[in-house]
Amino acid sequence: MAMEERSTRIYRQQQMLSKEALTEIENLCIHEQPAYCVAACPFKLDAKQMVRAVAGGDFAKALALYEKITPFVHILSAGCEAPCEQKCKLCEAGEGIAIHELERAVARFGKSPKNKGLLRFKKRKSVAIFGSSLFSLFLAGELAKKAYPLTIYCDEPDAAAFVAAGASFLDSDGLNAEVETLQSMDITFRFGTKLTAQLFEQKKTAYDIVGASPRLLSGFWPGFEVDEATMLCKEVQVISTPVGAQGVLASLFGAKKAALTVDRLAQNLDPRSSRGDEGASETALITNMDSVAGSCRIHCEKEGYTKEDAITEAKRCIQCSCTECVKGCVYLQHYKKYPKVLTREIYNNVSIIMGDHMMNKPINSCALCGQCAVVCPNGYDMADICLMARRNMVTTDKMPLAPHEFALLDQMFSNEEAFLCKPQPGFAKSKYVFFPGCQAAAIAPDTVRAVYLDLSSRLEGGVALLLGCCGAISEWAGRYQMYDEAVAFIDARLKELGNPAVIAGCPTCKKMLSQHYDGEIVGIWDVLEEIGLPKGAQKISRPVAMHDSCGARGDAHTQQTIRKLAGKLGCELVETEFSGDTSPCCGYGGLVMYANREVAHEMAQMCVNRTDAPYITYCMACRDRFAREGRESRHILELIYGTNAGEPPDISEKRYNRLMLKNGLLHEIWGEEILEMTCEFPITFMPEALKLMDDRMILKEDVIKVMESFRETEEAIFDSESGLMITRKRIGNVTFWVKYEEQDGGYLIHSAYSHRMKIDSSQ
Amino acid sequence: MADKNYYTIDPLGKLRCMKCNVPLVKGKARFMYLDNGFPVELPVCPSCGFVYVPEELALGKVLAVEKALEDK
Repeated sequence: MAMEERSTRIYRQQQMLSKEALTEIENLCIHEQPAYCVAACPFKLDAKQMVRAVAGGDFAKALALYEKITPFVHILSAGCEAPCEQKCKLCEAGEGIAIHELERAVARFGKSPKNKGLLRFKKRKSVAIFGSSLFSLFLAGELAKKAYPLTIYCDEPDAAAFVAAGASFLDSDGLNAEVETLQSMDITFRFGTKLTAQLFEQKKTAYDIVGASPRLLSGFWPGFEVDEATMLCKEVQVISTPVGAQGVLASLFGAKKAALTVDRLAQNLDPRSSRGDEGASETALITNMDSVAGSCRIHCEKEGYTKEDAITEAKRCIQCSCTECVKGCVYLQHYKKYPKVLTREIYNNVSIIMGDHMMNKPINSCALCGQCAVVCPNGYDMADICLMARRNMVTTDKMPLAPHEFALLDQMFSNEEAFLCKPQPGFAKSKYVFFPGCQAAAIAPDTVRAVYLDLSSRLEGGVALLLGCCGAISEWAGRYQMYDEAVAFIDARLKELGNPAVIAGCPTCKKMLSQHYDGEIVGIWDVLEEIGLPKGAQKISRPVAMHDSCGARGDAHTQQTIRKLAGKLGCELVETEFSGDTSPCCGYGGLVMYANREVAHEMAQMCVNRTDAPYITYCMACRDRFAREGRESRHILELIYGTNAGEPPDISEKRYNRLMLKNGLLHEIWGEEILEMTCEFPITFMPEALKLMDDRMILKEDVIKVMESFRETEEAIFDSESGLMITRKRIGNVTFWVKYEEQDGGYLIHSAYSHRMKIDSSQ
Repeated sequence: MADKNYYTIDPLGKLRCMKCNVPLVKGKARFMYLDNGFPVELPVCPSCGFVYVPEELALGKVLAVEKALEDK
């Protein structure tokens, strides 16, 4: 299959998900759900942020949050019944946060800025409030905030008496503060007004909307009724509150509902419609309390917390949220986004026709390992989203080839040049076929050989060998056509073998094959558990950690069988965080190591940072990734067969190993003579060149092709500064450059680099 | 705009074409990627037309532009 590189600027689009399906998926993510305390508050006070501000000693910020509920913070903090406290999640582990006392502390210690915002234009509709009460006071606060021209008629002689009439429970400091707050508002007062029914009837016509204290209204119209949804007394079109509705919470809640009714009336709209979400609610948030230790409240004296005590109490707050998926996922940590936001951005990225596709890299940086789906309380699966996006962009030709081309070529190499499929000599039909997987052959060819020799000697009925790729690479790249071709190719080869039972060496291969192969599929671990370990098995004598493969996620049987084998070897296993089904990816999965080396490195780092112990893996890619990070790691088959793949091979050696394994086994087992391809000229690589080439994904084979081309064309330049010659060749979609010097009739390679741009010199 | 060059490198007489045995000169070339073209001035052999892309350019600006175009 040739891979032609085309422009991704193409007017083609395919919907990744319907809007409804997208919303349904997004709603699974509960990260944005309000904290328990916030949902419990009828006013939606952001207690979580307020407590956080107090914990940081920022009382001004805490007060600003508190003042969003009402300007009369002393009244609210003195009389609030704090339903939030009962809902505090910390109650499950110990004592909940003393939110009410913290509110009092915020009201006392918080300082409001003197100039509050910009001047606002007054609204056109005028409002009057008749009579003093807690409801009247809160309503005045709400309407002043909304910038209605407001007039207050009351018996009381002054503001202090007006406040005291509503909030008699305030201490003198609180009273003074609230009087000052009231006086700072742009309100016209008619103090000392004798409030009679006559005066009320006479004055109220001068205003568009009228409110009254329940005491006053019941005096004029005994038995008056207020609609509790709108706080509107329909008979007289006056806003009020039921006489029995007392208490700070009920009065403020009534005032807020009434203020919304004023808005609706001012716009000549039905006060009952479009009122939004009022009052306390339930939250869908789930906060994991597993690692939270309970604690007790800081003792509070009658006069309230000191600043220091308030801060200490606030610091007990665990800032409830759901971050289960982020805890073990380097990908989400790296992009500092949680699934709901990431999904929307990916969806948008896929949907745009022109413009920068900012999310291409994040789409290709997910390991597709499925850890998130296991740890999320609602099973949010980012792998599903990222794979869907990759496939979609492949369909619309918007997926650039560059991030995955090397890996795709590697799959083709596995299923072409390095491919081998042979029944055991002497067997026309095969009862089994050993399928070690491309990475085992690339990283630990001696181990693959040892396993095959063992299986073919101990199992009866013929054990065939199939060296190739299961197609996982093209599947991860979203190149579904190439995957389908790989599947058809492998299935056809298995059919030729008589559809034997597949003995998979790799959990991912097992998973991939089981999606399409009708025959039996078992893991090599299952077979070894049944037939017993071969002679020569060795253990690591120190305690070791087991890294579970993401290919075995949800496969408890495989995870347990591997542990049994490790037990038989005599390995002492240490516990690590995120093991079993919650195991993170090593950085190979989903082709991250090709598309985003930085994230892949961070993934491997997270894995090795979980423990100091050497690792046992049962996926060869994990073994390789950890060894590259400098951590001693061994595939369990290396221990079982007494082999050691040693230092991790570079990308050229990974190909070479596969070829040599194939050729070696063809010769050793099937007696076939293999004509070794040899280079016609001596070529040597400086160690630094090999390191650069591995980093830059340049194979020795590529360099040899460049030099072969040079020998034909003689096209090269000499750089007098470095004393090196430089030549180049275009291979596929890439131009490779080689810096070299001639040596012993051949070449000493100093450096190699590449670019995908073509150069046209014809102008 | 037609004459605008996105990048210019002068070989300053330090580079020589091995095939033609002449010094490379500053010459016009064009980078092409994903249906986009950029006129540049690079060291070119005046005789055979060999265009040299230095390592720093390939791994620097060229790579950055490639990535930007891939995400267009």
